[in-house]
This record gives sequence, structure tokens and C-alpha cells, in this order.
Amino acid sequence: MRLKKEIVPAEKEKEKIMSATQIFPASSSPASMPRRMRRDTDQTFASRSLPGRRKPTPSDAHIIERLKMGDEAALETIFNLHSGKLYSVAHRILGEAADTEEVIQDVFWTVYRKAKTFKGESQLSTWLYRLTVNAALGRLRRGKKKREVEYEEYLPKFQEDGHHLVRPVVDWSDTLDEKYARQEVHGILRKALDELKPIDRSVVVLSDMEGLADKEIAAALSLTVSAVKTRLHRARLFLRGKLAVQLGHSAT
Amino acid sequence: MHMAKLKRAQQSRANVSCKTITDLIWKYVSNRLGPTLKREFEKHLRICPDCVNFLNTYKKTVSLAPSISASTIPVKVRANARAFLRRKIRRLAALFLFFLSSVTG
Repeated sequence: MRLKKEIVPAEKEKEKIMSATQIFPASSSPASMPRRMRRDTDQTFASRSLPGRRKPTPSDAHIIERLKMGDEAALETIFNLHSGKLYSVAHRILGEAADTEEVIQDVFWTVYRKAKTFKGESQLSTWLYRLTVNAALGRLRRGKKKREVEYEEYLPKFQEDGHHLVRPVVDWSDTLDEKYARQEVHGILRKALDELKPIDRSVVVLSDMEGLADKEIAAALSLTVSAVKTRLHRARLFLRGKLAVQLGHSAT
Repeated sequence: MHMAKLKRAQQSRANVSCKTITDLIWKYVSNRLGPTLKREFEKHLRICPDCVNFLNTYKKTVSLAPSISASTIPVKVRANARAFLRRKIRRLAALFLFFLSSVTG
């Protein structure tokens, strides 16, 4: 028996796995489908950690093609590759809100349902970021409205001749670490981040925290590249101003 | 626009203002200033301690951002999401079967 198992051709084994992970296998008769599907879906989401099943990461195009055919294993692959990153993005945008889990579920369910609408004009990751940010922003819109904070109060101001309005400008970059523990600094910044407009917060999260390029952020947020740059700069100035005020200095 | 401002400033032999420097700071920190603008920017920094201090605090703010609540997805959230997707896919498949059986009679 053991010998027999070992000589199964790799391709045949691959086909077996592929057909077992399809939602609607072409060869299935309607009568036999429910039972197989139940077993198959369980197997797909349970089998990922089995040794020997790990395959090289397929290309985005290949995964999407499989997903468009209803291949549950393709969804599993995308989930394994991207769920950690997307959770982090959603959590950072939503702050302390416990909605992050639901956002992740919504995103991957949308990925499964709407795979056919993905034209491949942008990267798969960009599409995933877009779905995540939209889902997170949607939740924020539906949730309790926060009081809008006026940015102006924390942005630098200048005299008519272009000099800083309040001089001297204090360099508190080292004082911050001396005065506050790392966790406290993060708390202050987190609070300031939550005061940004959700769209600006999304730009900061995708740029300064996730390290995405301006072009990718623009595609994910349906903004122009120029708008991304403007929003990012303004948001950074606001955060800087909040930190300055926290330390007892002028934001300007 | 910033380029035009700088050109105007250069033409009038006036110093680049702190306001222009602040407007350009994001380009400077991401190393996107062209050589001429960069030279002008740094020239201003040599004579303006206020802008040096502003730049340091701006850089500090940007450098702190990545460490904010970099949350890893909890095991439970992963498991819940998998269960959710499994449930939804099953439901969709059942719906498909119902549709198929009603069409084929």
C-alpha cells in the first residue's frame, strides 16, 4: 500500500488536490455536491498547515484566475498571504474599534464574490488595500460621529515675510524620548492619529506605516497622487503639532 | 508651484522663506527634491536654526508612525474569519444547488 501511494504521479496528486478544493467541481453531479462540498470546504481551510502541502507562492494572476473559477483554495492562499497585513491596516484606521474582525471577514468575502470584477489593472494587493480601507471607512461613517478637530490650530503659521510666527522653534525631538516612555509616546500619537479625518488617517497608515508608494495609495483610495501628497504632508504637520503641544511648545 | 516660488525667490536674490521650506519638507525627507532645490533647501537650513529644529521634529514625527499599534492578527480572529468564509461559501453553494435543481426540474 505504501509503495502504491508513493508512485502516484505528482500531476495526478495535484489534480486531486485541485478538484477537492473547488467549490463547483466540473465533474460533480448535483446530487453528490452538497456532501462533497461540506467535506471539501472543511478540508481546504483545515489542510493549510499539513506538512508537504506547501507550494511555492503562485503569481497574483494565477491565484485570481483560480478564484474566478470559484476555487476555494485560491481564497485560502490570498487569506494566508494578506490577512495579517490587512488586519493591521484596518486596525490602525479603526483605532480601538472592535470592528476590525468584521472588516476582515467582509473583505475576504467580497474578494471571493467579486473576484470576477478584478480586471488586473492594478496589483492584487492594491485591490485588497482598497477593499479594506473602504470597509473600514464605511464602518466609521456608520458609527458614532467624532467631533472634527480643526487642523489649523496645529499647523505651522508664518509671518508675512515668511518666517515662523512663533520663534524660536524648539527642537523637541530628543526631549520626547526623555520625557515619555515609548508606550506613552505611542499613546499620544495614536490619539492624535484618531483625530485625523478618516481619509487622511488612511493616507498616513498606508504611507508611513505600511510603506506603500504614493501611486499605490492613490489607487487604493481613489485619489490623485497629488491629493495623496497634500493630505499626507498636512496630516504629518498636524501630528507634529499635536506632539509639540503635548510637550508644552507651540505647534507653530 | 514650489518651483515657481523658488525661482521667484532666486530671481529677487531673496532668501527662500521658512514657509517655502516647510512646504517642501516632505519632499526633502523622502529625497525627492531635485539638485537645485535641494541645494537651496540646505542653504536655507545653514542660516535658519528654526527650520533645522522644525525639520528635526517633522522627521521625528514621521519616524514614530510605523511603531503605532502594529497589531498582528489574533489567532482567534483568523479562525473566526475562516469559519465565516466557510459558512458563507457553503450557503452560496447550497443556493447554487437550489437554483440548479429548480432549473433542471
